[in-house]
Amino acid sequence: MMLLIWLVMTLFFLSSSISYELTTKTEHMPDIILTQTKAGREGFVDEKIVDHILEIEGVSRAYAYIKAPYQFKEDISFTIFGVDPFEEIDDPFIAHLLERYNLESGSMLVSHDVKELMKKAYYTKEFNFIRPDGSLKRVQIAKEFDTKNAPHYRWLIVMSKEDARDILGLAGSEATNIAIDVANKLETPLIAAKLKEYYPNAKVVTKKEQKLLYEQSFNFYSGTFLILFSITLLTFFIIIYDRLSGMSSEERREIGILKAIGWRIEDVLGAKFYEAFFIAVFSYIAGVSIAYLYVFYLKAPLLGNIFLHDAFLQTQQFSLAPHIEFFYLFLVFLLVVPLYFAAVIIPAWRVATLDADEVMR
Amino acid sequence: MIRSLFVAMLFLTTLFAHADYSQAVKIKKIYPLGKKIYEKKCKELDLDGLSTQEELLQRINGSKCSKLSSKYKEALTLYLWEQKLHNHTPHYKALKVTKEQKCPVCGMFLYKYPNWVSMIEYNNGKKYYFDGMKDLMKYYFENPNGVKQILTQAYYRQKTINAKDAYFVTGSDIYGPMGNEFIPLANKEAAKKFLIEHRGKKIIRFESITPEMVEALD
Amino acid sequence: MIRLEGVTKEYAGGVYALREIDLELREGELVVLKGVSGSGKSTILSLIAGLSKPSKGRVVVDGKEISRLPDHFCATFRRDNIGIIFQKYNLIADLSVAENILLPLYPANLPKGELQKRLKQLLETFHIEDKQESLVKSLSGGQQQRVAIARAKINHPKIILADEPTANLDEKLSREFIEILKNLKSQNRTIIIATHDPLFFDLDFVDRYITLQHGKIVDDNT
Repeated sequence: MMLLIWLVMTLFFLSSSISYELTTKTEHMPDIILTQTKAGREGFVDEKIVDHILEIEGVSRAYAYIKAPYQFKEDISFTIFGVDPFEEIDDPFIAHLLERYNLESGSMLVSHDVKELMKKAYYTKEFNFIRPDGSLKRVQIAKEFDTKNAPHYRWLIVMSKEDARDILGLAGSEATNIAIDVANKLETPLIAAKLKEYYPNAKVVTKKEQKLLYEQSFNFYSGTFLILFSITLLTFFIIIYDRLSGMSSEERREIGILKAIGWRIEDVLGAKFYEAFFIAVFSYIAGVSIAYLYVFYLKAPLLGNIFLHDAFLQTQQFSLAPHIEFFYLFLVFLLVVPLYFAAVIIPAWRVATLDADEVMR
Repeated sequence: MIRSLFVAMLFLTTLFAHADYSQAVKIKKIYPLGKKIYEKKCKELDLDGLSTQEELLQRINGSKCSKLSSKYKEALTLYLWEQKLHNHTPHYKALKVTKEQKCPVCGMFLYKYPNWVSMIEYNNGKKYYFDGMKDLMKYYFENPNGVKQILTQAYYRQKTINAKDAYFVTGSDIYGPMGNEFIPLANKEAAKKFLIEHRGKKIIRFESITPEMVEALD
Repeated sequence: MIRLEGVTKEYAGGVYALREIDLELREGELVVLKGVSGSGKSTILSLIAGLSKPSKGRVVVDGKEISRLPDHFCATFRRDNIGIIFQKYNLIADLSVAENILLPLYPANLPKGELQKRLKQLLETFHIEDKQESLVKSLSGGQQQRVAIARAKINHPKIILADEPTANLDEKLSREFIEILKNLKSQNRTIIIATHDPLFFDLDFVDRYITLQHGKIVDDNT
């Protein structure tokens, strides 16, 4: 019973937390993101086109930034974020960092985890990046920041665009993305279409489209979730049905004894009611608590992957912040508890109404 | 000698010359950049008694902000000179409405349509907010006296503009909360662009709006 | 005080447990019902306890015609007047000794003090005070027997019924039981024991021996 509740609640917690996170994540995205493709692969944009984009009526802001992985070890790559410290960035986390700390050319802001790794490699105040041609570039570590609230930025390094270009081997005005904000959201699709016209090789993704993409992927796995959920529910019903159809001989005997020593039917049912109540409430609370711990503390190993799979969404990347929709809690309670009660009380009632002289045999 | 002077002048001016930025780029990129730089790094700059842009630049070079890159210095200079010190275009505050406010003409809740909010302010201080220029004009024709100012929001920029300066486009495929609308644009070029892109029929100014036009839009 | 009038008990399939039984038992009598398995001894106990109803005839106990009482009132009647000792003890294994003994009185809503008083008394009488909190399933056969008897006494019943109380006991424990039985007899209680254990056949403190065969009384000895 407890296992059941745990499973169901895990699924619910996971799904609600993830969908919540997806919505908040996409909220802070720029309205349009433009990237270039070259020969069908991700290429680089030229920062100079920003001025051209700004000419479009309705565009309120446009800026180029660099976001690229830097391979540190075999299994760990840092995310280098190259920005202009005086430009307004959509991402609130990075904007906040730039607000708080001064970013000078030749220095960088690193996440706590990055700092630790660098420390392990004996780099404490600065780090030597390896350029694509093999030469080294030294960058000072200006400050480290905490990523507790933004685990998807666990390996983030923020630096100036020039430094980023230098390290990644980009040319003078190359960048990886251009972020575009639109004042009147009604205009977004029109502007996106215009951009596609101007830059036929570019990949133009609006916030809406990105959201849809996430949702689609999420929904596919939501399908799996629904299936699992249905199976769990079905199992539950089978168990209930089984109980309804009869009681174990041991339980029959006990009820018989109680009747023999003078318990009335209502006394028997009353006792059964308390029993059912405690079990139901206890397993509900236990099941929910364990699910909560499992999803939000242990980060749902194994089961989490049902939802999220592949490059784009990974449970580890999601912070899985506790986001509880009370509706679900309620639903599960209302579904499971009364049914369980029925499953206990109805057979008890059936047995209790029989003649207890069978006990004598 | 004059020749060399001339060349020197050219040189000097190119030192101070900036790439010709369009208005759009200046407003959307250069000024915000300059503003940020100023506020973060150069707030101590003394801005009094400057008569030319070059003087400003010199003063910047003499301050702790001299270490900035040329790109930043340029933005800073342009911002300070053109926006902070010499920008005389009136700046209107954003039109904000509460959750309870309703349009006096149609009774709809204004908070649902933040992009369309328009306002009439009368000399007696009373302000009335509407969910679009159409309803505003209906009210205006009933109460045309003692008007202090009429403000609305530019379609593309979503900034508050004066209705008297605005260019309105009718007959487009963009509908406001009350259906067909006078779509306000901040200037002629924007209005022209809008007319083409959204298949508008006419561009008109505030003075030309008549009650018949308003009715025709309904 | 206990009367069976023309009582017949028939089970499905045409099996007669009792045929036309007439029986009268006085208050305070210690009666032993003799007979082999299936002779109807258990059925008589069952009827007296109100656990089953006769197919024909009446059962009157202490002036009440319990054969016509609805189940609800029968249960209350049992609780107030009858203590039963079962062949297999029928204790609830997962409950403690104290809980088992107090079990009949739980629905009665007696004040806690009264319950505790009675419990203490019984625990002392049967020398099981130290086992009060232990689970019944951890007790020896003899201890369980005493718990069963204590349970039958907790409600201060007027009538005690024992169905084959020594069937599962060795001789030593059986004799112990008989000793306890002797003590039970005081206090003017009616005690009826159904048994085919020969140890009971020749006891001087038994008031009456009734022999049953095929559902009929064949002998009634005082």
